[in-house]
Amino acid sequence: MVEFSLPKNSKVTNGIKHKPKEPSKSPKNLVIYRWDPEDNKNPRLDTYEIDQSKCGPMVLDALMKIKNEIDPSLTFRRSCREGVCGSCAMNIDGVNTLACLKSMSDVKKDIKIYPLPHMRVVKDLVPDLSKAYEQLASIKPWLERSKSETKKKEDKIEENKQTPKDREKLDGKWECVLCFCCTTSCPSYWWNGDEYLGPAVLLQAARWVNDSRDSERKKRLTAINDSLKLYRCHSIMNCTRSCPKGLNPAKEIAGLKKAIVTEL
Amino acid sequence: MEREEINNMTDNRPLSPHLSIHKRVLTAVFSIFHRISGIGLSVGSLLISIWFFLISSGPQFYVYFELISKNILFKLVLLIWTIGIFYHLFNGCRKLYWSFGIGMELSQVYRSGYVVLFLTIISTLGVWYFV
Repeated sequence: MVEFSLPKNSKVTNGIKHKPKEPSKSPKNLVIYRWDPEDNKNPRLDTYEIDQSKCGPMVLDALMKIKNEIDPSLTFRRSCREGVCGSCAMNIDGVNTLACLKSMSDVKKDIKIYPLPHMRVVKDLVPDLSKAYEQLASIKPWLERSKSETKKKEDKIEENKQTPKDREKLDGKWECVLCFCCTTSCPSYWWNGDEYLGPAVLLQAARWVNDSRDSERKKRLTAINDSLKLYRCHSIMNCTRSCPKGLNPAKEIAGLKKAIVTEL
Repeated sequence: MEREEINNMTDNRPLSPHLSIHKRVLTAVFSIFHRISGIGLSVGSLLISIWFFLISSGPQFYVYFELISKNILFKLVLLIWTIGIFYHLFNGCRKLYWSFGIGMELSQVYRSGYVVLFLTIISTLGVWYFV
């Protein structure tokens, strides 16, 4: 359902300004969305001032500095700090990205940080991704081979080899780290997230549809050929714009639509 | 912690802000205007048919036709309608070739967006200059 305004319990209020203990050489303000499930209050925006001369260059460095030195209650996901794990996805300066890949110097004014848009918030910057993971599981993100395709040689199952050319077809698809920056930037997903699979999951669908070793291409295409699951994509391109890995989900979705028309 | 207490916490989870905090991406603006112009054209074509219908309804209705046609507000609506028709046409072409999987790189999408905008302005000016 299209609902432009936020529900009553989600309206964001003004929060606390955390003053630094000592004056900073090059100050930078971070305005961060806070919500604690344990107190019955609405989300709020807290402001933290950090000294950039004593902090790493990325937004994630600043978040960790705040957690370590100013406010240990600040909650966010992070792991690899180099854009491989996809944990620290959040909305920074209006665009979804990974905090570990976003340089603080890219933002001229105060850095505004929200959780991924239009998601249920578990705490602070941690969104509930269980629905998105369910949708990912629904497209069977693993290699499927029918029995007749599996070659047997003297009772031993033979290796499935792939030519470099076939392997190339997976470029731009396998690199996805499933951070769901794209999915949660998509207005179609905001309004129809219950049924529409969203760019991240459809990109994964394309990854398995185009794998030469997979024998269920037709079955996969049939499964997603649905007015809600796939065709809520209107090429708004927010997904491609926000992908921190520089991938193009919108293009891959167009490829899926084309394959359905030409092959099914 | 009590089960009930946990349920209470998860049920009350707020929805994170979306439209109000997300940056206006130009490609998304192009997309929403395609839809708005589509809706506008549907309503507009109805109004325009009424306008034409007045001419065909004979001399006693021609007075109304003239009255409406000279109205500045009507001219403004007609101008917006012209912009809408050209925008929807050119952007529709763009969407059509996207269906073939062509021109979907981000830089190309931006460029074709500007081309659509340019063509819309030129065509609208052309129509209003010559007609």
